[in-house]
Amino acid sequence: MIDSQSITRTLFEDFRPLAVTLFYGAGIAATGIFLWGIWIQVRKYRRGARYVLDGSLAARFGDMVGSVLSHRTVRRRDHAVGAAHGLVFFGFALLFVGTSTITLEFDVLKPLFGVRFWYGNFYLWFSLVLDVAGVMLTVGLLYMMYRRGWLKPPKLDYARPDRSPTDPDFDRSAYRIEDWTFLWTLMVIGVTGFVLEAARLVWLAARPEVWNFRWWSPAGAVVACGLRSLGVSATAAGQLRTGLWWFHGVLALAFIALIPFTKVKHIFTASASLMLRDPLASQRLPRVPDSQAAPGYQYITDLNWKQLLNLDACTKCGRCHDACPARATGAPLSPRDVILSLREFANKSLASGTLPDKAELDIHGKNAGQVAMETLWSCRTCMACVEICPVAVEHVPIIVQMRRKLVESGDMDPLLTKTLQTIHKTGNSFGESRRKRPAWTKSLPFTIKDARKEPVDVLWFVGDYASFDPRNQKVSQTFATLLRDAGVDFGLLYEAESNAGNDVRRVGEEGLYEVLADSNVKAMSEATFKSVVTTDPHSYNTIRNEYPDFGGRYEIEHYTTLLRVLLAAGRLKPSRPLNYRVTFHDPCHLGRFNKGYEAPREILKLLGCELIEMGRCRANSFCCGAGGGRIWVADPVGVEKPAQNRIREAAAIEGLQVYVVSCPKDLTMFEDALKTTGNEGRFVVRELIELVHEAVAVPADAAVAGA
Amino acid sequence: MGSVKGCRWKILVAVKQVSSLEEDFEIRADGRDVEPDFLVRDLNEWDEYSLEEAVKIKEAGAEVEVVAVSVGPEVADEALRKCLAKGADRAIRVWEDAVAGSDSIAVARIVAAVARREKADLVFAGVQSSDHSFASTGTAIAGFLDWPHAAVVNQLAYVQGATRAEVRRELEGGVLQLMEVDCPAVFTIQLGINAPRYASLRSIKQAAAKPIETLCLGDIGLSSADAGEAGSLSRVRRMYVSAKGRAQMIDGTPAEQAARLAAIIKKFTGAGA
Repeated sequence: MIDSQSITRTLFEDFRPLAVTLFYGAGIAATGIFLWGIWIQVRKYRRGARYVLDGSLAARFGDMVGSVLSHRTVRRRDHAVGAAHGLVFFGFALLFVGTSTITLEFDVLKPLFGVRFWYGNFYLWFSLVLDVAGVMLTVGLLYMMYRRGWLKPPKLDYARPDRSPTDPDFDRSAYRIEDWTFLWTLMVIGVTGFVLEAARLVWLAARPEVWNFRWWSPAGAVVACGLRSLGVSATAAGQLRTGLWWFHGVLALAFIALIPFTKVKHIFTASASLMLRDPLASQRLPRVPDSQAAPGYQYITDLNWKQLLNLDACTKCGRCHDACPARATGAPLSPRDVILSLREFANKSLASGTLPDKAELDIHGKNAGQVAMETLWSCRTCMACVEICPVAVEHVPIIVQMRRKLVESGDMDPLLTKTLQTIHKTGNSFGESRRKRPAWTKSLPFTIKDARKEPVDVLWFVGDYASFDPRNQKVSQTFATLLRDAGVDFGLLYEAESNAGNDVRRVGEEGLYEVLADSNVKAMSEATFKSVVTTDPHSYNTIRNEYPDFGGRYEIEHYTTLLRVLLAAGRLKPSRPLNYRVTFHDPCHLGRFNKGYEAPREILKLLGCELIEMGRCRANSFCCGAGGGRIWVADPVGVEKPAQNRIREAAAIEGLQVYVVSCPKDLTMFEDALKTTGNEGRFVVRELIELVHEAVAVPADAAVAGA
Repeated sequence: MGSVKGCRWKILVAVKQVSSLEEDFEIRADGRDVEPDFLVRDLNEWDEYSLEEAVKIKEAGAEVEVVAVSVGPEVADEALRKCLAKGADRAIRVWEDAVAGSDSIAVARIVAAVARREKADLVFAGVQSSDHSFASTGTAIAGFLDWPHAAVVNQLAYVQGATRAEVRRELEGGVLQLMEVDCPAVFTIQLGINAPRYASLRSIKQAAAKPIETLCLGDIGLSSADAGEAGSLSRVRRMYVSAKGRAQMIDGTPAEQAARLAAIIKKFTGAGA
């Protein structure tokens, strides 16, 4: 019978005291370097601007742990990588916990209290679990290597769309070296761990308390059998064990020491970033504090500490690079490059003990680490990057803050300058007089209530495109007819409505946004209504998420939810199924921004349409290219526009009849793209409102009576 | 007030708050102007360029002060604030009731008096104003000051303190003229000479806090006889909209349109036959 106390591993077996001391010295040095590295990073973050977290820290921590353990964010849109990362993560985590357990007994509990637990059954199960963890780690790493070396997904090509091949930081080759070093280091640590385990088994094969229990560490046992079949003697195995022990140990310690200085730090930064996530980062942009001398971000120290930490969380996974509509159509922008450039800039300029001169902290420009204005102006603020980032990097607010600086210094497209001046002067982007805003109502056979003069249930915020664009005016007239037929008590702000400002704010003209928001909040405060409905997702977003900061708190919905209710309640009755084969384009500001994915789909179902989804739908919907003020700037000639890219995606659907949109800007963008891609005649672009109207050909009697 | 500390060079930029018409408008009861309610006001487009040109010289030099001047009632402050937002150091507005009814020459007399008071080294004006289009104020200022001038300048090379400016003028038919002009001088600036900067709302709001110096005729050594209708050699008699053309859209299907067109042609040719 073997004493269970002897079923264990003797640490530092056969080591001379000097060797043990040397190892402890190395361990302490590695920990010291690790802590110093953390301090360097923390000092860097502390140089960022103030940022106050809202919400409870415990809840944030809970969410973060949930995201990390479930790997929810890592699995999205790339399941194989999610699984492989899970293997590496859980393998690594178990090995870390295991090693810590040994330290706990050997360096704390045993010397202080004489307590031991690392023997017998506990030891055997421990060995088994850690062996499995090692296998998980190795398998995960093998897949990652296979992916980088053979699959070579385009998103892992770091070549930059905003730099030319002659620029020194064009292909970011240093990152590739780092990636491979990371993978190989972990791999070597893992494999030498198994060989070390095997060498010990062979070396101590004569002891039954070791050899008889070898299958509790199955991977090590397999390698041990291999060593023995190669004729490795116990003595040779002992020597191998000593050599490998040092190699494995020193490599592992070096790995730990270098964590804060390499991509390995994402273990900490990504978790912290997830914990700091702002779920409304892009939907609700920050105001410019009165105390701030100049608006926006000009210097790296204008970024707040949370954002500086976000930069370090990026693992270059390329999901944002893949999702970006600007990047997909050849614009000089990759959200990943913006983040990496700023990170490189921060690491260079904020790493030393003293801050360099202001001039050296300027993040605008074309030098390494700086972000060019062409890059910033390419952004559609569609939020695709923020939405998919597995580590909660929030690109859009940083880009808008940098644009605020560009707007202040006037560095923008002349067309954009003109539009902003027009909006300031007339309150709309069309340059029409205020009096003409309700002109589209004149051809209706009924009068829409003026919510400034009489109370209404529902205030309809129409928005610029639906008010002034001739094609969208028809949709507005149709929607008014539907509301009237359904007996909804609704009204307008008429001339008192101004551009809602959503896109003005995303351009970065915060001062003008404040004027518009204040003006609309004032107009709405002078009207009497119960709730707001809007046909414009852009207005919907800013009124819902940003007007509360300006004192405007309303119950607001997009028209899709209102129509769904009216249809479900029978106040609008489809007289016949439409039987169209349709696809639906999720507007960024309705879908990704405000999660309004279901209502339009349910309406299409109620209308009897056959909905065929495009590959990029819902959260991954592909921006039409109009967001962030880009509708006011001409896209480059001869290059595919985002809307054309999207229409081509839809055109691949067999027998598609209607491309359904639910945003005025989408109607404009896609009707244009339909023509320019030569798809006119194959299918049509229509507003969901128009389909509802077509289905409800005969108005319900009750509604007419009520009207 | 007073000049910016240490500034020895001063560019005076004459600007105007112009009016444009809304879609529907009415003529004033006395028939000599448009009813003010129907006017949309803004800084004259040409003045955006002349101001930008002055601010550019200021930014390139060390001790240049840019002073925007306008002749008009309080509503003109808005135009001056825009100038302040875009980089003018100071703004002056000249007004009193007697100034009402001044023609472009009388306005030039006032601006020239301000230029003398300010001891300006250069005066810029737009080629013309978009509402009244006399294109005479700038050149008349040169006349009152007895300074040389160049009109319709679309390129200007001048460094602070130089005794000469090199200008390029835009003539008819795409012909350009390069000139040297002795300074001090008056230049009227053409559109496109530069890219006027954007005045962000933030800078406009900040400019709102800056004072605008308001002067009356007495402050600049003039009297009511020098301004208004008394000081002008021209007067507006009447303002009206020309009678609508007799063009008419023909509605209906192509066949109906053709039939209607044929009937009209027959009517006219028949009448002639």
